[in-house]
Amino acid sequence: MPKNITIFTTNTCGYCVMVKKWLSAKGHAYEEVNLDTDPIRQQEAIALSGQLSVPITVVTKQDDTQEVVVGYNLAKLAPAVS
Amino acid sequence: MNDSTELHDVVMVGAGPAALAAALYTTREDIDTVLYEKGVIGGLAAITDWVDNYPGFPDGLAGLELADKLQKQAERFGADIRLGEVQKITNTGNLKEIETTDGLVRAKTVLIATGSDYKKLGIPGEEEYYARGVHYCATCDGAFYRDKKIVVVGGGNSAVQESIFLTKFASHIDLLVRGDSFRASEILQQELKKHSDKVTVHFNTSTERIIGKEGKVTEVQGHNSKSKKELSFAVDGVFVFIGLLPNTGFLKGSDIDLDDIGMIKTNESLETSMSGVFAAGDVRSGATMQIASATGEGATAALMIRKYLEPHA
Repeated sequence: MPKNITIFTTNTCGYCVMVKKWLSAKGHAYEEVNLDTDPIRQQEAIALSGQLSVPITVVTKQDDTQEVVVGYNLAKLAPAVS
Repeated sequence: MNDSTELHDVVMVGAGPAALAAALYTTREDIDTVLYEKGVIGGLAAITDWVDNYPGFPDGLAGLELADKLQKQAERFGADIRLGEVQKITNTGNLKEIETTDGLVRAKTVLIATGSDYKKLGIPGEEEYYARGVHYCATCDGAFYRDKKIVVVGGGNSAVQESIFLTKFASHIDLLVRGDSFRASEILQQELKKHSDKVTVHFNTSTERIIGKEGKVTEVQGHNSKSKKELSFAVDGVFVFIGLLPNTGFLKGSDIDLDDIGMIKTNESLETSMSGVFAAGDVRSGATMQIASATGEGATAALMIRKYLEPHA
Protein backbone atom coordinates (compact mmCIF):
# COMPACT_ATOMS: atom_id res chain seq x y z
CA MET A 1 0.00 0.00 0.00
CA PRO A 2 1.28 3.49 -0.79
CA LYS A 3 1.97 5.95 2.03
CA ASN A 4 -0.20 8.56 0.38
CA ILE A 5 -1.74 9.55 -2.94
CA THR A 6 -2.30 13.09 -4.25
CA ILE A 7 -4.34 13.86 -7.36
CA PHE A 8 -4.13 17.18 -9.20
CA THR A 9 -7.48 17.88 -10.87
CA THR A 10 -9.67 20.58 -12.39
CA ASN A 11 -13.43 21.08 -12.05
CA THR A 12 -14.27 20.06 -15.61
CA CYS A 13 -11.89 17.13 -16.13
CA GLY A 14 -13.72 13.86 -16.83
CA TYR A 15 -10.57 11.76 -16.58
CA CYS A 16 -9.95 13.19 -13.08
CA VAL A 17 -13.36 11.87 -12.01
CA MET A 18 -12.39 8.43 -13.35
CA VAL A 19 -9.10 8.34 -11.42
CA LYS A 20 -10.95 9.23 -8.22
CA LYS A 21 -13.66 6.62 -8.90
CA TRP A 22 -11.06 3.95 -9.61
CA LEU A 23 -8.98 4.70 -6.50
CA SER A 24 -12.10 4.69 -4.33
CA ALA A 25 -13.25 1.39 -5.87
CA LYS A 26 -9.85 -0.10 -5.00
CA GLY A 27 -10.06 1.23 -1.43
CA HIS A 28 -7.35 3.89 -1.70
CA ALA A 29 -7.65 7.23 0.09
CA TYR A 30 -6.27 10.29 -1.68
CA GLU A 31 -5.75 14.00 -1.29
CA GLU A 32 -7.13 16.15 -4.10
CA VAL A 33 -5.54 19.38 -5.27
CA ASN A 34 -8.01 21.25 -7.48
CA LEU A 35 -6.06 23.58 -9.75
CA ASP A 36 -9.16 25.69 -10.44
CA THR A 37 -9.55 26.57 -6.77
CA ASP A 38 -5.82 26.38 -6.00
CA PRO A 39 -4.13 27.68 -9.19
CA ILE A 40 -0.98 28.61 -7.28
CA ARG A 41 -0.10 24.88 -7.20
CA GLN A 42 -0.09 24.62 -11.00
CA GLN A 43 3.68 25.04 -11.21
CA GLU A 44 4.11 22.22 -8.70
CA ALA A 45 1.93 20.00 -10.88
CA ILE A 46 3.95 20.86 -14.00
CA ALA A 47 7.24 20.29 -12.19
CA LEU A 48 6.10 16.86 -10.98
CA SER A 49 4.76 15.63 -14.31
CA GLY A 50 6.60 17.69 -16.92
CA GLN A 51 3.21 18.02 -18.64
CA LEU A 52 0.40 20.53 -18.94
CA SER A 53 -2.36 18.04 -18.34
CA VAL A 54 -4.54 16.64 -15.58
CA PRO A 55 -5.20 14.32 -13.86
CA ILE A 56 -1.76 13.98 -12.31
CA THR A 57 -1.59 11.26 -9.66
CA VAL A 58 1.41 11.32 -7.34
CA VAL A 59 1.89 8.07 -5.45
CA THR A 60 4.28 8.23 -2.49
CA LYS A 61 5.52 4.76 -1.56
CA GLN A 62 6.42 3.49 1.92
CA ASP A 63 10.10 4.20 1.21
CA ASP A 64 9.18 7.81 0.25
CA THR A 65 9.93 7.33 -3.44
CA GLN A 66 7.32 8.86 -5.73
CA GLU A 67 5.63 7.66 -8.88
CA VAL A 68 3.78 10.12 -11.08
CA VAL A 69 1.02 9.00 -13.45
CA VAL A 70 -0.47 11.47 -15.92
CA GLY A 71 -3.96 10.82 -17.26
CA TYR A 72 -6.40 8.02 -16.56
CA ASN A 73 -4.00 5.23 -17.37
CA LEU A 74 -4.86 2.02 -15.51
CA ALA A 75 -1.87 0.16 -16.98
CA LYS A 76 0.37 2.58 -15.05
CA LEU A 77 -1.90 3.46 -12.15
CA ALA A 78 -2.62 -0.12 -10.99
CA PRO A 79 1.06 -1.11 -10.48
CA ALA A 80 1.87 2.31 -9.01
CA VAL A 81 -0.60 1.90 -6.13
CA SER A 82 -0.08 -1.84 -5.54
CA MET B 1 -13.07 -21.41 -20.95
CA ASN B 2 -15.18 -23.66 -18.73
CA ASP B 3 -18.74 -23.69 -17.47
CA SER B 4 -17.80 -21.70 -14.37
CA THR B 5 -16.75 -18.70 -16.49
CA GLU B 6 -19.09 -15.78 -15.77
CA LEU B 7 -22.08 -15.78 -18.11
CA HIS B 8 -24.23 -12.69 -18.72
CA ASP B 9 -27.22 -11.96 -20.90
CA VAL B 10 -25.44 -8.98 -22.43
CA VAL B 11 -21.96 -7.53 -22.17
CA MET B 12 -21.67 -3.95 -23.37
CA VAL B 13 -18.31 -2.68 -24.57
CA GLY B 14 -18.06 0.96 -23.55
CA ALA B 15 -20.11 3.06 -21.12
CA GLY B 16 -20.86 6.18 -23.11
CA PRO B 17 -24.35 7.55 -23.80
CA ALA B 18 -25.30 4.71 -26.21
CA ALA B 19 -24.37 1.90 -23.83
CA LEU B 20 -25.76 3.64 -20.74
CA ALA B 21 -29.09 4.21 -22.49
CA ALA B 22 -29.10 0.58 -23.69
CA ALA B 23 -28.28 -0.61 -20.17
CA LEU B 24 -31.16 1.41 -18.75
CA TYR B 25 -33.52 -0.45 -21.10
CA THR B 26 -32.04 -3.94 -20.68
CA THR B 27 -31.85 -3.78 -16.88
CA ARG B 28 -35.46 -2.63 -16.70
CA GLU B 29 -36.30 -5.84 -18.61
CA ASP B 30 -34.33 -7.82 -16.00
CA ILE B 31 -31.69 -8.64 -18.58
CA ASP B 32 -28.41 -9.26 -16.74
CA THR B 33 -26.15 -6.45 -18.03
CA VAL B 34 -22.43 -5.78 -17.57
CA LEU B 35 -20.57 -2.83 -19.11
CA TYR B 36 -16.81 -2.48 -19.54
CA GLU B 37 -15.35 1.01 -19.83
CA LYS B 38 -11.65 1.57 -20.44
CA GLY B 39 -11.87 5.37 -20.49
CA VAL B 40 -14.36 7.82 -19.08
CA ILE B 41 -17.87 6.75 -18.11
CA GLY B 42 -20.01 8.96 -20.34
CA GLY B 43 -17.51 8.85 -23.20
CA LEU B 44 -16.70 12.01 -25.16
CA ALA B 45 -19.82 13.64 -23.70
CA ALA B 46 -18.15 13.55 -20.29
CA ILE B 47 -15.16 15.55 -21.49
CA THR B 48 -17.29 18.07 -23.39
CA ASP B 49 -17.58 21.37 -21.57
CA TRP B 50 -21.23 22.07 -22.19
CA VAL B 51 -24.10 20.23 -23.91
CA ASP B 52 -26.89 22.45 -25.20
CA ASN B 53 -28.57 20.11 -27.69
CA TYR B 54 -29.61 17.16 -25.55
CA PRO B 55 -33.42 17.16 -25.28
CA GLY B 56 -34.95 17.65 -21.86
CA PHE B 57 -32.44 20.15 -20.52
CA PRO B 58 -33.72 23.58 -21.59
CA ASP B 59 -30.75 25.43 -20.10
CA GLY B 60 -28.15 22.91 -21.26
CA LEU B 61 -25.84 21.13 -18.83
CA ALA B 62 -22.18 20.27 -18.32
CA GLY B 63 -21.05 17.15 -20.19
CA LEU B 64 -19.79 15.67 -16.91
CA GLU B 65 -23.19 16.22 -15.30
CA LEU B 66 -25.01 14.53 -18.19
CA ALA B 67 -22.61 11.58 -17.97
CA ASP B 68 -23.22 11.30 -14.24
CA LYS B 69 -27.00 11.37 -14.70
CA LEU B 70 -26.88 8.70 -17.43
CA GLN B 71 -24.69 6.50 -15.23
CA LYS B 72 -26.89 6.87 -12.15
CA GLN B 73 -30.04 6.12 -14.16
CA ALA B 74 -28.54 2.93 -15.61
CA GLU B 75 -27.16 1.82 -12.22
CA ARG B 76 -30.50 2.48 -10.54
CA PHE B 77 -31.93 -0.53 -12.37
CA GLY B 78 -28.92 -2.77 -11.87
CA ALA B 79 -26.34 -2.06 -14.59
CA ASP B 80 -22.94 -3.39 -13.50
CA ILE B 81 -20.29 -0.96 -14.80
CA ARG B 82 -16.74 -2.28 -14.60
CA LEU B 83 -13.56 -0.26 -15.18
CA GLY B 84 -11.68 -2.44 -17.63
CA GLU B 85 -10.94 -3.02 -21.27
CA VAL B 86 -12.41 -5.53 -23.72
CA GLN B 87 -9.63 -6.91 -25.89
CA LYS B 88 -11.33 -9.53 -28.05
CA ILE B 89 -14.75 -10.93 -28.90
CA THR B 90 -15.06 -14.48 -30.23
CA ASN B 91 -18.19 -16.19 -31.47
CA THR B 92 -18.51 -19.67 -30.00
CA GLY B 93 -21.97 -20.37 -31.36
CA ASN B 94 -24.81 -19.33 -29.09
CA LEU B 95 -22.40 -17.68 -26.70
CA LYS B 96 -19.71 -15.02 -27.20
CA GLU B 97 -16.39 -15.15 -25.42
CA ILE B 98 -15.14 -11.76 -24.29
CA GLU B 99 -11.53 -11.29 -23.26
CA THR B 100 -11.13 -8.41 -20.84
CA THR B 101 -8.27 -7.01 -18.77
CA ASP B 102 -10.04 -8.61 -15.77
CA GLY B 103 -10.30 -12.06 -17.38
CA LEU B 104 -12.65 -13.98 -19.60
CA VAL B 105 -16.44 -13.61 -19.49
CA ARG B 106 -19.19 -15.12 -21.62
CA ALA B 107 -22.36 -13.50 -22.88
CA LYS B 108 -25.42 -14.44 -24.87
CA THR B 109 -25.24 -11.07 -26.63
CA VAL B 110 -22.79 -8.19 -26.94
CA LEU B 111 -23.36 -4.51 -27.60
CA ILE B 112 -20.37 -2.63 -28.95
CA ALA B 113 -20.68 1.06 -28.10
CA THR B 114 -17.05 2.12 -27.88
CA GLY B 115 -17.66 5.47 -29.54
CA SER B 116 -14.96 7.55 -31.12
CA ASP B 117 -11.91 9.51 -30.16
CA TYR B 118 -10.51 12.77 -31.49
CA LYS B 119 -8.42 12.49 -34.67
CA LYS B 120 -4.84 13.62 -34.72
CA LEU B 121 -3.39 16.05 -37.26
CA GLY B 122 -0.41 13.89 -38.18
CA ILE B 123 1.92 16.87 -38.58
CA PRO B 124 5.48 17.46 -37.36
CA GLY B 125 5.66 18.42 -33.69
CA GLU B 126 2.25 16.98 -32.76
CA GLU B 127 3.51 13.83 -31.10
CA GLU B 128 6.66 15.45 -29.71
CA TYR B 129 4.69 18.06 -27.78
CA TYR B 130 1.74 15.88 -26.78
CA ALA B 131 0.49 17.12 -23.37
CA ARG B 132 3.32 19.63 -23.36
CA GLY B 133 1.51 22.08 -25.59
CA VAL B 134 -0.59 19.86 -27.86
CA HIS B 135 -3.95 18.81 -26.41
CA TYR B 136 -7.20 17.06 -27.35
CA CYS B 137 -9.20 17.76 -24.16
CA ALA B 138 -10.01 21.39 -23.38
CA THR B 139 -11.90 20.57 -20.18
CA CYS B 140 -8.84 18.69 -18.87
CA ASP B 141 -6.00 20.92 -19.93
CA GLY B 142 -7.47 24.38 -20.60
CA ALA B 143 -6.68 25.58 -17.09
CA PHE B 144 -2.95 25.46 -17.89
CA TYR B 145 -3.42 28.28 -20.41
CA ARG B 146 -4.56 31.14 -18.18
CA ASP B 147 -3.60 34.42 -19.90
CA LYS B 148 -1.77 32.55 -22.65
CA LYS B 149 -2.15 32.49 -26.41
CA ILE B 150 -3.35 29.33 -28.10
CA VAL B 151 -4.34 27.90 -31.45
CA VAL B 152 -7.47 25.77 -31.83
CA VAL B 153 -7.67 23.61 -34.96
CA GLY B 154 -11.01 22.57 -36.49
CA GLY B 155 -14.27 23.96 -37.83
CA GLY B 156 -16.93 21.62 -36.44
CA ASN B 157 -19.07 21.72 -33.31
CA SER B 158 -16.31 20.48 -31.02
CA ALA B 159 -13.76 23.04 -32.21
CA VAL B 160 -16.18 25.95 -31.82
CA GLN B 161 -17.66 24.73 -28.51
CA GLU B 162 -14.25 24.13 -26.98
CA SER B 163 -12.91 27.46 -28.30
CA ILE B 164 -15.73 29.19 -26.44
CA PHE B 165 -14.80 27.23 -23.31
CA LEU B 166 -11.11 28.09 -23.70
CA THR B 167 -11.87 31.84 -23.76
CA LYS B 168 -12.31 31.45 -19.97
CA PHE B 169 -8.56 30.94 -19.76
CA ALA B 170 -6.66 32.06 -22.87
CA SER B 171 -5.80 35.69 -23.58
CA HIS B 172 -6.23 35.05 -27.31
CA ILE B 173 -7.23 32.17 -29.60
CA ASP B 174 -6.40 31.77 -33.29
CA LEU B 175 -8.97 29.32 -34.66
CA LEU B 176 -7.62 27.62 -37.78
CA VAL B 177 -10.32 26.24 -40.09
CA ARG B 178 -9.21 24.31 -43.17
CA GLY B 179 -12.40 25.00 -45.15
CA ASP B 180 -13.91 28.32 -46.20
CA SER B 181 -16.69 28.11 -43.59
CA PHE B 182 -17.61 26.42 -40.32
CA ARG B 183 -19.29 23.01 -40.16
CA ALA B 184 -20.44 23.91 -36.65
CA SER B 185 -24.10 24.62 -35.94
CA GLU B 186 -25.38 28.16 -36.54
CA ILE B 187 -26.13 28.70 -32.85
CA LEU B 188 -22.53 27.87 -31.89
CA GLN B 189 -21.20 30.20 -34.58
CA GLN B 190 -23.38 32.99 -33.17
CA GLU B 191 -22.10 32.24 -29.66
CA LEU B 192 -18.51 32.33 -30.91
CA LYS B 193 -19.07 35.81 -32.35
CA LYS B 194 -19.71 37.06 -28.82
CA HIS B 195 -16.07 36.26 -28.11
CA SER B 196 -14.62 38.04 -31.13
CA ASP B 197 -12.43 40.14 -28.82
CA LYS B 198 -10.54 36.98 -27.94
CA VAL B 199 -10.97 34.70 -30.95
CA THR B 200 -9.64 35.32 -34.46
CA VAL B 201 -10.97 32.91 -37.07
CA HIS B 202 -8.71 31.98 -40.00
CA PHE B 203 -10.59 30.18 -42.78
CA ASN B 204 -8.84 28.28 -45.62
CA THR B 205 -5.97 27.65 -43.24
CA SER B 206 -4.31 24.29 -42.85
CA THR B 207 -2.11 23.53 -39.88
CA GLU B 208 1.30 22.41 -41.09
CA ARG B 209 3.79 22.28 -38.22
CA ILE B 210 4.11 22.73 -34.46
CA ILE B 211 7.39 24.27 -33.34
CA GLY B 212 8.80 24.39 -29.83
CA LYS B 213 11.78 25.35 -27.78
CA GLU B 214 13.10 23.81 -24.56
CA GLY B 215 10.18 21.37 -24.40
CA LYS B 216 7.46 23.99 -24.87
CA VAL B 217 5.34 24.94 -27.86
CA THR B 218 6.23 28.38 -29.17
CA GLU B 219 4.77 28.54 -32.68
CA VAL B 220 2.23 26.99 -35.04
CA GLN B 221 2.80 27.27 -38.76
CA GLY B 222 -0.04 27.19 -41.24
CA HIS B 223 -0.82 27.72 -44.90
CA ASN B 224 -3.62 29.77 -46.39
CA SER B 225 -4.89 27.96 -49.48
CA LYS B 226 -6.52 31.13 -50.91
CA SER B 227 -3.75 33.68 -50.47
CA LYS B 228 -1.07 30.95 -50.83
CA LYS B 229 0.68 32.58 -47.89
CA GLU B 230 2.57 30.81 -45.13
CA LEU B 231 1.32 31.84 -41.69
CA SER B 232 2.95 31.82 -38.29
CA PHE B 233 1.24 32.01 -34.92
CA ALA B 234 3.30 32.66 -31.79
CA VAL B 235 1.42 30.64 -29.15
CA ASP B 236 1.89 28.56 -26.00
CA GLY B 237 -0.39 25.67 -26.93
CA VAL B 238 -2.57 23.96 -29.52
CA PHE B 239 -5.94 22.25 -29.05
CA VAL B 240 -7.00 19.91 -31.85
CA PHE B 241 -10.65 19.07 -32.70
CA ILE B 242 -10.67 17.92 -36.32
CA GLY B 243 -13.17 15.09 -36.25
CA LEU B 244 -13.55 11.62 -34.85
CA LEU B 245 -12.05 8.18 -35.33
CA PRO B 246 -13.99 5.05 -34.29
CA ASN B 247 -12.63 2.98 -31.41
CA THR B 248 -12.57 -0.34 -33.24
CA GLY B 249 -8.88 -1.28 -33.02
CA PHE B 250 -9.74 -4.25 -30.79
CA LEU B 251 -11.92 -5.71 -33.59
CA LYS B 252 -9.11 -6.06 -36.12
CA GLY B 253 -8.99 -9.64 -37.33
CA SER B 254 -12.41 -10.43 -35.85
CA ASP B 255 -15.47 -11.60 -37.80
CA ILE B 256 -17.16 -8.24 -37.28
CA ASP B 257 -17.27 -6.30 -40.56
CA LEU B 258 -16.06 -2.70 -40.60
CA ASP B 259 -16.54 -0.06 -43.28
CA ASP B 260 -13.75 1.79 -45.11
CA ILE B 261 -13.07 4.11 -42.19
CA GLY B 262 -13.22 1.41 -39.54
CA MET B 263 -16.79 1.92 -38.33
CA ILE B 264 -18.95 -1.11 -37.57
CA LYS B 265 -21.43 -2.17 -40.22
CA THR B 266 -24.88 -3.15 -38.92
CA ASN B 267 -28.22 -4.21 -40.38
CA GLU B 268 -31.59 -2.54 -39.71
CA SER B 269 -31.66 -4.28 -36.30
CA LEU B 270 -28.26 -2.76 -35.40
CA GLU B 271 -26.83 -6.30 -35.47
CA THR B 272 -23.30 -6.71 -36.82
CA SER B 273 -22.01 -9.44 -39.12
CA MET B 274 -21.48 -11.57 -35.99
CA SER B 275 -24.83 -12.98 -34.88
CA GLY B 276 -25.85 -11.71 -31.44
CA VAL B 277 -23.37 -8.85 -31.50
CA PHE B 278 -24.92 -5.39 -31.88
CA ALA B 279 -23.45 -1.91 -32.29
CA ALA B 280 -24.78 1.54 -31.42
CA GLY B 281 -23.66 5.14 -31.18
CA ASP B 282 -20.64 6.91 -32.68
CA VAL B 283 -18.87 3.65 -33.53
CA ARG B 284 -21.62 2.46 -35.89
CA SER B 285 -21.31 3.05 -39.62
CA GLY B 286 -23.79 5.79 -40.53
CA ALA B 287 -23.85 7.32 -37.04
CA THR B 288 -24.65 11.02 -36.85
CA MET B 289 -22.23 11.60 -33.94
CA GLN B 290 -24.80 13.23 -31.69
CA ILE B 291 -25.43 12.34 -28.05
CA ALA B 292 -29.18 12.30 -28.65
CA SER B 293 -28.80 9.85 -31.56
CA ALA B 294 -26.44 7.69 -29.52
CA THR B 295 -28.92 7.29 -26.68
CA GLY B 296 -31.69 6.63 -29.22
CA GLU B 297 -29.61 3.94 -30.89
CA GLY B 298 -28.79 2.51 -27.47
CA ALA B 299 -32.49 2.15 -26.69
CA THR B 300 -33.12 0.55 -30.11
CA ALA B 301 -30.22 -1.86 -29.65
CA ALA B 302 -31.57 -2.86 -26.23
CA LEU B 303 -34.95 -3.73 -27.74
CA MET B 304 -33.24 -5.73 -30.51
CA ILE B 305 -31.17 -7.55 -27.89
CA ARG B 306 -34.32 -8.40 -25.97
CA LYS B 307 -35.88 -9.76 -29.16
CA TYR B 308 -32.72 -11.77 -29.94
CA LEU B 309 -32.64 -13.25 -26.44
CA GLU B 310 -36.26 -14.46 -26.53
CA PRO B 311 -35.78 -17.57 -28.73
CA HIS B 312 -32.26 -18.07 -27.32
CA ALA B 313 -33.38 -18.05 -23.64
